[in-house]
Amino acid sequence: MRDARTTPLETAASGVAPRSVWWRTAGRALTPLAWVGPAVALILGVVLWPAVEMVRTSLTRVSSSGLSGGFTGFRNYAELFGENDLVPVLWRTALWVVGVVAVTLAVSLALAQVLNARFPGRRLVRWAVIVPWAASVLMTALLWKWMLDDFYGVVNKLLMDTGVIETPVNWLAHPEVAFACMMAVSVFVSLPFTSFVILAGLQTIPGEVYEAARVDGAGHLRTYFQITLPLLRPVLFVASVINVINVFNSFPIIWAMTQGGPGRATDTTTTLMYKLAFLNQDVGESAALAVVNFALILTLALLYSWGARRQGRAQA
Amino acid sequence: MMRTHPIAAVAAGLAILAGLTGCGKGGSSADGEDTGKEIRFVAAKYDDDTQPYWESLIKDFEAQNPGYRVKLEIVDWEQIDAKVKTYIQTRQQPDILNYNAYSDFARDGLIYKASDVVSTQVMKDFLPKFADGAKYGGQQYGLPFLASARLFFYNRDIFRKAGIAGPPKTWDDVKLAAQKIKSAVNGVSPLGLPFGAEEAQAEFFIWAMNNGGGWVDSSGKWAINQQANVDTLRFLRELTKAGLTQPNPETTNRKDVFNLFSQGKIGMLNGAVFQRKGFIDTVDKNLAYGVAPLPGAAGATPQTLSVQDFLVAFKNGDGKNGDGRNKDAVSRFLNFFYQKDNVAGFLKTEGFLPVTRSAGDALSSDPYYKPFVESLANARFAPTDDPAWSAVAGAAKQQIGTAVADADPKTVLDKLQDAAAKND
Repeated sequence: MRDARTTPLETAASGVAPRSVWWRTAGRALTPLAWVGPAVALILGVVLWPAVEMVRTSLTRVSSSGLSGGFTGFRNYAELFGENDLVPVLWRTALWVVGVVAVTLAVSLALAQVLNARFPGRRLVRWAVIVPWAASVLMTALLWKWMLDDFYGVVNKLLMDTGVIETPVNWLAHPEVAFACMMAVSVFVSLPFTSFVILAGLQTIPGEVYEAARVDGAGHLRTYFQITLPLLRPVLFVASVINVINVFNSFPIIWAMTQGGPGRATDTTTTLMYKLAFLNQDVGESAALAVVNFALILTLALLYSWGARRQGRAQA
Repeated sequence: MMRTHPIAAVAAGLAILAGLTGCGKGGSSADGEDTGKEIRFVAAKYDDDTQPYWESLIKDFEAQNPGYRVKLEIVDWEQIDAKVKTYIQTRQQPDILNYNAYSDFARDGLIYKASDVVSTQVMKDFLPKFADGAKYGGQQYGLPFLASARLFFYNRDIFRKAGIAGPPKTWDDVKLAAQKIKSAVNGVSPLGLPFGAEEAQAEFFIWAMNNGGGWVDSSGKWAINQQANVDTLRFLRELTKAGLTQPNPETTNRKDVFNLFSQGKIGMLNGAVFQRKGFIDTVDKNLAYGVAPLPGAAGATPQTLSVQDFLVAFKNGDGKNGDGRNKDAVSRFLNFFYQKDNVAGFLKTEGFLPVTRSAGDALSSDPYYKPFVESLANARFAPTDDPAWSAVAGAAKQQIGTAVADADPKTVLDKLQDAAAKND
């Protein structure tokens, strides 16, 4: 490894350099750029430029037809923070992220344990768990919307046949119920990835550790809480961070099931952003919310890298 | 190995870079050869017959106008708002657009005046009411394309079972009929009330206008939070709370209640001219239903909501006298479309009402259309000529349904009034 990396540099320094003309030297100096360049360009073009454009738009007045009306300072932000719905939406977004990720992790831990156990048909069960992941999120959300429908939905039919309710209920019309349902769907689609990450983590724990624990007389519970969970920590960390970002940005589930309604009672910041741009026809204010969203995600990412560094140090 | 090709490596890297940046510009190179004879037409999708109609019309046009080409793009109504906004923001607006708004394009100087792109003959052919509804700042910008009108639909079987003699004329009649249906007929919702996001603003306006309310006052100023509107929402909310509507109007979309009506599960509702072709005939051709004027406050003349869609022509490419280079091609195509048979063909295909005199005669032979055509005499339009309208409509779609459920009608209407003020 080490040799392969240093050889070109060493030969360059010792053998060829003195004989070369200026353009060759310059060319050599630029060589790294050829390899790093495309990646840098990609990051500049795909990550940085849209972000800059977003901030610029948030400081611009954009007319309802989509035409830019020039710099307007922080007016869009003032309008955004003047929205009565903003604070409830922010709280709801927090509930959405924390709730979905926490439940997903808890269920995935159990699920991974099951998938890791040896039993006949395990392969089949593992495949079955992948299904919600393989299916499109939008499709899953629409499916649930129809299952919960008050006129045609199977959920109402089931509950009425078993006598739990007497008349059909329009579940998605009640904000609390609708939000809980959507969180459940979000958990449902997050489970496969999370449980497989945890499963991978479980499989890296050496058998000897468990053997040692058994010899020392540790029971099942104690083994789980003092060996399995601590050893899963890095895996749980990664799974939770990826889930937080995914769930935070989740749009299709809410849009397909309630469109954030009734009113704005089930909106998160992501769907509200869309509504501001395309229903309220205010692209500028929507961009301001995008910047706020971006700042929140950035904070989470910084916390992540801080946490990762701390964890790295702890392990070293 | 690396030693021998440093320059080649740099070149390769730069080539990749160039490739990447080249991608971003996309199709702009085509502009260089723009002769103004090729135009892009973005049309809204009314149903599955829309695309074949335009394709065959464009084929005829291109045959009669050699050298001219029309590129057709059909966009679903659900996506068209986002798409149009993106096109304009990225300066890729089509040459002709079939849409439900025009005034903010006119305000921003993006489109031609109507008289610039269609002949005087076509201008005279537009029905005055619709031409008036296509103006901005006193000038006509939008080209009226088609109209719909709304009348009251009721299920005759359900009315018979409930012992109701005829269609309700006043709001009190509506309430009474709904109560009778509720007590006499099981498994149906007496009144269909779609206040879900799809078309809540239209449903509200229909009820409000027949109670003396509306979006604007007589001087054309926004008056969304006027008392008549508050009373309208209070009345509808009362019906909802009494269980006389389908459950949760605030989340029920228009297409949902139209479908339920077609299945015989709704007693009465504010129907639409396109309901027969688009909803009823596809489910139950034998459904026994009647069409009547919209019920209103006692003693008032029934009014109807008419919605018109437009064609607008964008100024694209730099041409003479501040016009776009596309003016000639655009105008040829529009004049071609507004020939009597072409317009009537479209209306028959899609089941809408005419906005031109010449096409009107072609449709009045069908008894189903007759009351709708007649109702246009007392038709009212949403204030589409006000550039703030699309923002107000968008805000209303999100919010107004909550006023027939749990929110206070006055508070909701105040919010909408603010939205209007902000965009004026």
